[in-house]
Amino acid sequence: MVDQTRPEDRWRHVRVLFLAFLGLWLLFTLFPLYFMIITALKTTAETNLTVPTFWPEIMAFGNFAAVFAEATNFDALVDSFVIATINTLLSLFLGTLAGYAFARFPRQAGGENLAFWILSNRMFPPVAILVPMFFLFDSTPWGTDSIWSLVILYLVFNLPLATWLMMVFFRDAPRELEEAAYLDGWTPLRAFMRITLPLVLPGMISVAMLCWIFAWNEYLFANLFVGTDVRTYTIVIPTFTHGSQTLWNLQMAFSLIAMIPPVTLFILLRRYMVRGLSLGVVKG
Amino acid sequence: MARLAIEGLCKGWDFPVIDDLSLTVEEGEFLVIVGPSGIGKTTLLRLVAGLETPDGGRILVGDRDVTRVPPYRRDVAMTFESYALYPHMTVARNIASPLKARGLPEDEIRRRVGEVTRLLRIDMLLERKPGEISGGQKQRTALGRTLVADPQVFLLDEPISHLDARIRHELRSQFHTLEDLRRVATVYVTHDYAEALSLGDRIAVMGNGGHLVQVGNPRNLFEQPATLFVAEHLGQPTINAIGAELVDVDDRLEVHAGSLRLPVSPAHRAALTKMQQRQVTIGLRPQHLRPADELPQGMELEGRIDIFEALGSTGVMIVDAGGVRLTALTRPERSFDHGEVVTLALNPAALYFFSPVDGRNLLL
Amino acid sequence: MSNVTLSKVNKIYGTGRMGVHAVRDLDLAVPNGEFMALLGPSGCGKTSTLRMIVGLEPITSGDIHFDEVRVNDLEPRERNVAMAFETYALYPNFTVEENLAFPLEVRGVPPADRRRRARELAELLRITEILSAKPPVLSGGQQQRVSLGRALIREPAVFILDEVMSHLDAHLKFQMLFDLKRLHQELRRTMIYVTHDQVEALALADRVAVMSNAELQQVGDRNALYNRPANMFVADFIGEPPTTFIPVERCDHAGSTRLHATGADLVFDVAAERVPGLDAHGGRKFMVGIRPQNLHLCDDGATIGGKIVINEYLGERSILSIVTGDVTLQALAPPETRMTPGEHACFSLDPRDVMIFDTETGALVT
Repeated sequence: MVDQTRPEDRWRHVRVLFLAFLGLWLLFTLFPLYFMIITALKTTAETNLTVPTFWPEIMAFGNFAAVFAEATNFDALVDSFVIATINTLLSLFLGTLAGYAFARFPRQAGGENLAFWILSNRMFPPVAILVPMFFLFDSTPWGTDSIWSLVILYLVFNLPLATWLMMVFFRDAPRELEEAAYLDGWTPLRAFMRITLPLVLPGMISVAMLCWIFAWNEYLFANLFVGTDVRTYTIVIPTFTHGSQTLWNLQMAFSLIAMIPPVTLFILLRRYMVRGLSLGVVKG
Repeated sequence: MARLAIEGLCKGWDFPVIDDLSLTVEEGEFLVIVGPSGIGKTTLLRLVAGLETPDGGRILVGDRDVTRVPPYRRDVAMTFESYALYPHMTVARNIASPLKARGLPEDEIRRRVGEVTRLLRIDMLLERKPGEISGGQKQRTALGRTLVADPQVFLLDEPISHLDARIRHELRSQFHTLEDLRRVATVYVTHDYAEALSLGDRIAVMGNGGHLVQVGNPRNLFEQPATLFVAEHLGQPTINAIGAELVDVDDRLEVHAGSLRLPVSPAHRAALTKMQQRQVTIGLRPQHLRPADELPQGMELEGRIDIFEALGSTGVMIVDAGGVRLTALTRPERSFDHGEVVTLALNPAALYFFSPVDGRNLLL
Repeated sequence: MSNVTLSKVNKIYGTGRMGVHAVRDLDLAVPNGEFMALLGPSGCGKTSTLRMIVGLEPITSGDIHFDEVRVNDLEPRERNVAMAFETYALYPNFTVEENLAFPLEVRGVPPADRRRRARELAELLRITEILSAKPPVLSGGQQQRVSLGRALIREPAVFILDEVMSHLDAHLKFQMLFDLKRLHQELRRTMIYVTHDQVEALALADRVAVMSNAELQQVGDRNALYNRPANMFVADFIGEPPTTFIPVERCDHAGSTRLHATGADLVFDVAAERVPGLDAHGGRKFMVGIRPQNLHLCDDGATIGGKIVINEYLGERSILSIVTGDVTLQALAPPETRMTPGEHACFSLDPRDVMIFDTETGALVT
């Protein structure tokens, strides 16, 4: 005899299990953020308790002001912002052009293999090039301690990613649309700007987000390269100490402030990212 | 306005797709290129449009050699099989695109887009995006974008083959009446012979190997196909092609196929008698083979029904006549059973004779 | 083998006011062994209906029975239906024979039996010569055959075909029509064929169910749909070139009843036996439908005349478009017709071939 339970009932069991799993997963992922927020609001004394508290006894909102007691700390946020933004714009500009070339003229651009080798830059551990890069940039007129050293260095990581992803997006954008534009009388450059670029815009925005967040959060190279004339926010965080004591509350407060720009960017741009490349469908 | 001339055009990748092809389309002429899918019709259009570079040969629009001119300077408009509408632009902006490219003033653009969309009856869709309109409307938009450009040459690539029968019919009528299309040289590519016959001032049948098999007006092509390939490609159901032998019987000439004995009409005799070759392929269009009561003066033969199907406006029967499988037509309201024996009739003058070697029409 | 019965079947997507009624109160019986076509324009509910029969879509209300068994709550695999799709979905790295036998392999049928059944089916589908080929080298028509064979091999009670020919070229399509018809004649299995193409539906099916706007419009064979369409939708949807509709007004004069076109100088006689039908319906305004194949070109004394605007030569026939007043009529003519646009043409029309519809509901009056 056939199972007589209604299909909807069978689905209900699955749904309950699924929700339980989802709850656990949320707890697991959101707890660190929660702990970060409450730590930022604790007093220094409370952060040092051996048994951690899960809700601050005294709300020390003053922590958020205290992190800026040193005026240069705010400049570090500005420096990070400038570096990340310039780097992103460069990655996007170069990556879009290179990606277009790989997508549309693979043979002239060196073929699939070259595209792959460019991406392979991302595959070896960054530490491997730490020392050679330091000497390389040290021999430049501006030295290592400059915005430009980091802007250029981060291109090593962001440009391959941007190129590869843009290549994929351009491949998905139908070539026929460009051809139709040529026949309308648009020159290749104008057809690219008017037709193809709008189609890959959602992709470009996603790429920009990835590049920007990488450059914003990078610590390893920044710590070694800059620190005097230029300081990124990531190398400021470990400076919140008092003697041998780590000021966890200030570190967390500063980190939270540093989260504001990327989160804001994400919220503003999310709409464009989600739309994805579904626009690419021509036939109905 | 100008004529389009293609001279000795060649294009191939691993194998030749277009091979030494020459063709002239006069100003104001509507030329249809018809052929099976994948035979290079679209490649030919793309060469004329400038989207592919030919390996050899010349393309002239009027007196101007455009072979090496990039597509955006050719003054040639083309619709794509996929329509290729810009998904991020409204219908109005899609159609305005060629005018914008020329930098016309906004109000002039608006006026001309208005004209074209009214003509094509899509003026109520101006602010919609391509994703929000039906297939027929997309096709009209794509057509609007080429019409508005007012080019020297129109290229239309399978513009209606993906649409429903109903809309196809409607758009076909519209192609007949669109003045703009009828003023300039138009090349229309399709695999549907009915579209070709209906629309073409002339038809070019494209065959394997990138050659044109025959070029001529619709009646000419349908009634006097140069080869069996042309005869097979034009017409539905496909023409009956039967391997047969010419036999002299007394003072008459007959064709024998299986146990079928068909007389050769006196009109065809002269052409066939002087031939050495006795093996022929005879062609008989299904509409020329009907039940005897529908074709009173015909030459009669017996057949056993294998399958009968009533299609829209005809009934199609597949019969076994003396060991030869034949397709015949009848009126759709009639009905026949499997295995039933029917008397069919044909007019011997309606027979075609093709060479079994190269498919050439032996009567031409 | 099964009778398939749908009773008061409804399908609503979404809930409340946002719900979309995709199928409304559908009653349909497909007797054992019948070839039934489900025909309608896109979005008419035919695909939802098919998905409910197969079991891919839950039924909102109503019942579906296979013989005596209510299948509403059965999983697709428990229903013993097979389905062939628009796309062929063959396994490219398997040979045709392996593709055919795959559904049996999954069910643990011994290799010798699988082989025998695959060969039988290949013979039926006329693909024996390609049994050892792999799908990528096959033509579209061959791939479609293999895909049909794979669906058929496990001998389903109900066989469903979803737009299986829409990807094929006209010539291949024609060939496939005959092959499918023969297949059905040999297997005598319940088959339901879903399509938007009336030529396919009319050619293949014993009966055609015409759907539009989520509702069943009419079920019948070709002659019923052609000559006695239930309403204007069916009259318009079935037939190529399409039916011309002309608004008319009833005029009784000297004992005879006629219909005068409101927008043109056209008069249609009404056969005496149809007058009671008009009387019973009441009202004066009607819609007249005329099929292009019922207008016959003649020299004079005809009831219908007009100026030719298009003479469309199609090889086996020509389609004439004629304008009179604000009415555009289409008529079929023999291919020899050499009339050119601008000329005047006359047509005769058998009064029995005039279809008369209610202006508002579109239902056939007589």
